[in-house]
Amino acid sequence: MSVHTLADLNQRIPPSRRLARFSGWIGAFVLILMLAFAFFPTVIAPYDSTKTVALPLQKPGRENILGTNDLGQDLFSELIAGTRASLLTGVIVSLIAVFIGAIVGLASGYLGGWVDSLLMRLTDLILVLPFLPLVILISVYLGPSQRNIIIVLSVFFWAGPARLIRARVLSTRLDTYIEAARALGANPLEIMAGHLWSSVRPLAFVQVVLVASASILAESSLSFLGLGDPSGKSWGTMLYFARASGAFLSDAWKWWVVPTGLMITLTVLSLGLIGYSLEQRMVSPT
Amino acid sequence: MKNFSRRALEFALTFFLAISINFFLPRLVPGDPIKLIAGDAAPQLGKERIAALRAQYGLDKPLSEQFMIYLKQLAHGDLGMSYRYSGGKTVVEVLSENFRWTLLLVGVSMLFALLIGSALGIWSATRRGDPIDFGLLSGVYILRAIPPFWLAMLLIPIFAIQFHYLPAGDSYSIPRLEGWENVKDVARHALMPILVLTLAYLPTAFVIMRAAMFGIMESNYIRTARAKGVPNRWVVLKHGLRNALLPVLTSFMVDFGQLLGGVTVIEAVFNYRGIGNMMFEAVKSRDYPLLQGGFLLFTTTILLLNIITELMYPLLDPRLRRTA
Repeated sequence: MSVHTLADLNQRIPPSRRLARFSGWIGAFVLILMLAFAFFPTVIAPYDSTKTVALPLQKPGRENILGTNDLGQDLFSELIAGTRASLLTGVIVSLIAVFIGAIVGLASGYLGGWVDSLLMRLTDLILVLPFLPLVILISVYLGPSQRNIIIVLSVFFWAGPARLIRARVLSTRLDTYIEAARALGANPLEIMAGHLWSSVRPLAFVQVVLVASASILAESSLSFLGLGDPSGKSWGTMLYFARASGAFLSDAWKWWVVPTGLMITLTVLSLGLIGYSLEQRMVSPT
Repeated sequence: MKNFSRRALEFALTFFLAISINFFLPRLVPGDPIKLIAGDAAPQLGKERIAALRAQYGLDKPLSEQFMIYLKQLAHGDLGMSYRYSGGKTVVEVLSENFRWTLLLVGVSMLFALLIGSALGIWSATRRGDPIDFGLLSGVYILRAIPPFWLAMLLIPIFAIQFHYLPAGDSYSIPRLEGWENVKDVARHALMPILVLTLAYLPTAFVIMRAAMFGIMESNYIRTARAKGVPNRWVVLKHGLRNALLPVLTSFMVDFGQLLGGVTVIEAVFNYRGIGNMMFEAVKSRDYPLLQGGFLLFTTTILLLNIITELMYPLLDPRLRRTA
């Protein structure tokens, strides 16, 4: 009888798998921190980020640890408040996008024929169009608001997941259990929503995380261009105002621009790491 | 060739759809297009003035007729007048002034990103599971998470404001220098945007090349080459890379639409005179014809590049030559 030591347990897990697990935990840790900011901003932030609490454009000091913005609002509190807007946008967009992507992918992969050609042409079209210029164009017509950013991003981000889910469906649709279900008289809807869905679910779950990461990045770009809600607090909007008030012509960039971008990077990175780790663990490569 | 004509039809269809988006978008959004054109002045306009404006822009005609007129204008290269310039400039004029700057930025950074990214990707793929692979992969993951415009906002205060190494914005000095000095001046202005864009494009090239090489390096002919005693470098570059080029190029073109658009934000940060920055300025002044023109130009560029890539396939893969 052999005793498993830690060393030989480690040996059995391939290094890439171990690495994925490790990076996944780092990502989860950062994300939990961000979620805490998003859920309890008032506990962590010292001030109401919408109120003028000091003179504008103050350097970091005892009262305001990251100084104040051009309206005299506390930058640290703004940073904490921004977490909610950025995370919420990311989560909503990714849920809508993967939901649409899953429906398109399932229908296209299982039904095939003209449904497949039509849906895939549409998907290719969305992937080929210049993303940011078109999003800018649409946002300008819809007007600047957080809701419109969510709508516009959802319209674009379903295409990637749809393709991946379709590929997975194509590889499982001829499996015997699907055939068995069909022989037992299950209608296409039952097969798609039941059997096929359960086989693509891990993939869809990973996509939710990865699309959330991509849409937080995209949201920050759009808000930075001034297409977000100007009175709302998101990290992209903070950077928009930092640029508008010339923060990088003075020393203010060190406490205004640097921490804000760092928050975006950390959030996007944490979701990316979690997505990578889940992918390694749940989705075996096709 | 049959395959190519099918692809060409698809490109034509995509182009037509982009045109349709341009036409229908302003007509689909809630509210009167006249309000969009007149902006804040709309409420002060009298009924007759609005009717006159409607007639001027052809908005009083049925939608199908409007669309035909729009297509006819487009065929003549008429994209309308830009609102921003009081002297009156056509959208085509503004676009052609700005496009070369975008082309300079995107062309150079895309080239750098493809070369460096692919080289790193190959290196990483041949050292699978190594600390080198791990290091490169983590670097790329971090790079992917950094908003490029933020990177630009960090470079400007460091290199332009603190050390005065490089200009903080614009594409050239005013007044413009002459001859060789002008070339150096333009290069100095382009350096930071190109650096940021290269870093932004690099992860895509890296990831695609790494994945493609993984698959290929495990195939039988690579094992055969190794068994023959071909030197490692030769195996990787001739047997491996040669076969990876086609799938890499194909995957890269799929992401190209997303990548190309990214130039918009970077140009805006650096105040660079490209199409992206022009669109950013057009957002502020609600210059709809200019925004539509910019979008159309970006789409056309992507489609043209896709067609060129398609034509390059036989060069990269001898198997495709015989059918042609």
